[in-house]
Amino acid sequence: MRKYREVMRVYLKAQLAWRADVAFSMLFTVSKVLFAWLLWGMVFRERDTVADFTFHGMLSYYIVSSFLHQLEMSRGISGEISARIRNGTLSNYLVLPVNMEGYFAAMEAGVVLFYLFFDLSAAVVWVFVFRIQLTFTHSAGLFICAMVMALMGLFFMVQLNYFLGILTLKYEEISTFLMIKDNLAALVTGSLVPLALFPEALVAGMRLLPFYYVTYLPSMLFTGRCGDEAVRGLVILGAWCVLLQGVIRVTWRKYRIKYDGVGT
Amino acid sequence: MKNFRVFKALLKIRFQNLMMFRLGFWGPFFVDGSLFLIQLVIFDAIYANVERIGSWGRGEMILYIGTFSLINAVNMAVYFFGVNGIVGKIKSGAMDLYLTKPVSPLFRLTFECMNPGSLPLLLLSGVIIGYGVRTAGIRLTWGRVLVYLFFLALMILLYYEMEVLIRSVAFYLVSNARMEQLEEMGLELCMNLPGIAFYGVYKVIFYGILPYGIMATLPVQGLLGEMSPGLALHGVGVVCVFSAITAFVWRNGMRHYNSASS
Repeated sequence: MRKYREVMRVYLKAQLAWRADVAFSMLFTVSKVLFAWLLWGMVFRERDTVADFTFHGMLSYYIVSSFLHQLEMSRGISGEISARIRNGTLSNYLVLPVNMEGYFAAMEAGVVLFYLFFDLSAAVVWVFVFRIQLTFTHSAGLFICAMVMALMGLFFMVQLNYFLGILTLKYEEISTFLMIKDNLAALVTGSLVPLALFPEALVAGMRLLPFYYVTYLPSMLFTGRCGDEAVRGLVILGAWCVLLQGVIRVTWRKYRIKYDGVGT
Repeated sequence: MKNFRVFKALLKIRFQNLMMFRLGFWGPFFVDGSLFLIQLVIFDAIYANVERIGSWGRGEMILYIGTFSLINAVNMAVYFFGVNGIVGKIKSGAMDLYLTKPVSPLFRLTFECMNPGSLPLLLLSGVIIGYGVRTAGIRLTWGRVLVYLFFLALMILLYYEMEVLIRSVAFYLVSNARMEQLEEMGLELCMNLPGIAFYGVYKVIFYGILPYGIMATLPVQGLLGEMSPGLALHGVGVVCVFSAITAFVWRNGMRHYNSASS
């Protein structure tokens, strides 16, 4: 465990080298909030509620989901693994005395810990700038469930991106697939619009998938909605994490022998 | 004539190069196709709950998405991959190679990485536009179609100029990653949000400074017959101003360029 803590600490410190990145990534979180402010501002001029959301309820959802979406920074893991398999430098990770997946999870934890404070500050700033009457849950139980679910969601995305990355051992070129995955993930995690706007039958199907619990449900729980889905959500997401871990193990065992360390 | 021969040669070389990786050949089509289809799904979900967004109904929004998709399709098929390489070539000094060729460096950079695999995006965009026109029940007249095509051509030019301008910053700065981030943010916002949503300071920014807000909005307003003479003049003016700025920044940048050390 100490090894992973050290990896986490190194990546946390490494972020300090890119101070402009931090400032700009904070600034650009405004994009989603501005989108919501302008789009829903027009819609709510003519009505008071949309799918049970009030204007400020909707903006609260976007503030929280944009914050959670911003924290999900594991996209680079699949690209990093894929590139290193293709150019033969994955060996740099293989010779480390740590589990490679654990290494990437610790790396992600270090980066997220660093950005946590800044993204939270940005969210607070946008609440004041756009004068949003933030709707937030008063229930400690819901808050804890949402926190745990958000953490599990981050871990699930690390697992998913790690899995997609090691698929390069079998399929040479996966960058197109990764970009399509990012497009789809933005839709099914509810970071573009709340999934409550979709037909009930479709949402029922999405509840069986893990993406529903990565950004959407934690955001709804934080804003005091969908409390009845909290426990079920934790169970389903936990089951997906276990399942994906099994798939990762099988895939790694099967295909690692294809890696020859000299590039493809 | 000489430029046309160069263009043909570049297209042939690029085709041979792309055919080596068949999945990669269709990659931009799948990626951007999925992006705009997802946008359609999102606005379908929104319109299932509301009748209109501002003055636009579902059909107008589909038309907007199709038009943005069409502008993007031309970008992906013709110049994106070439223009996107400008920054790397300035930093690595590979621009030297372009200066020694008997053709304009920007011409070659623009057309050397054409992507025929993106051509189906044009077809997809056409289908979305047709669907939008039908859903909105727009009465097409020659006048409106011509206005639409005129502004579409202007906006494709503006899109190209914005890409070149943002990447030309690399002539002057060590890193232009922030500029590209700004471009990404502006594009992402305006792809999802038609210009009619902007007001006040947001309108000043997205209609004048980062003019992504007018890109699909003006052609669509032309087709809907909603375009005022003032707005039309504004559109033409923005394109003229950005043409002048891009030409100045590029030419001055080329003079500023001092090979691998820049």
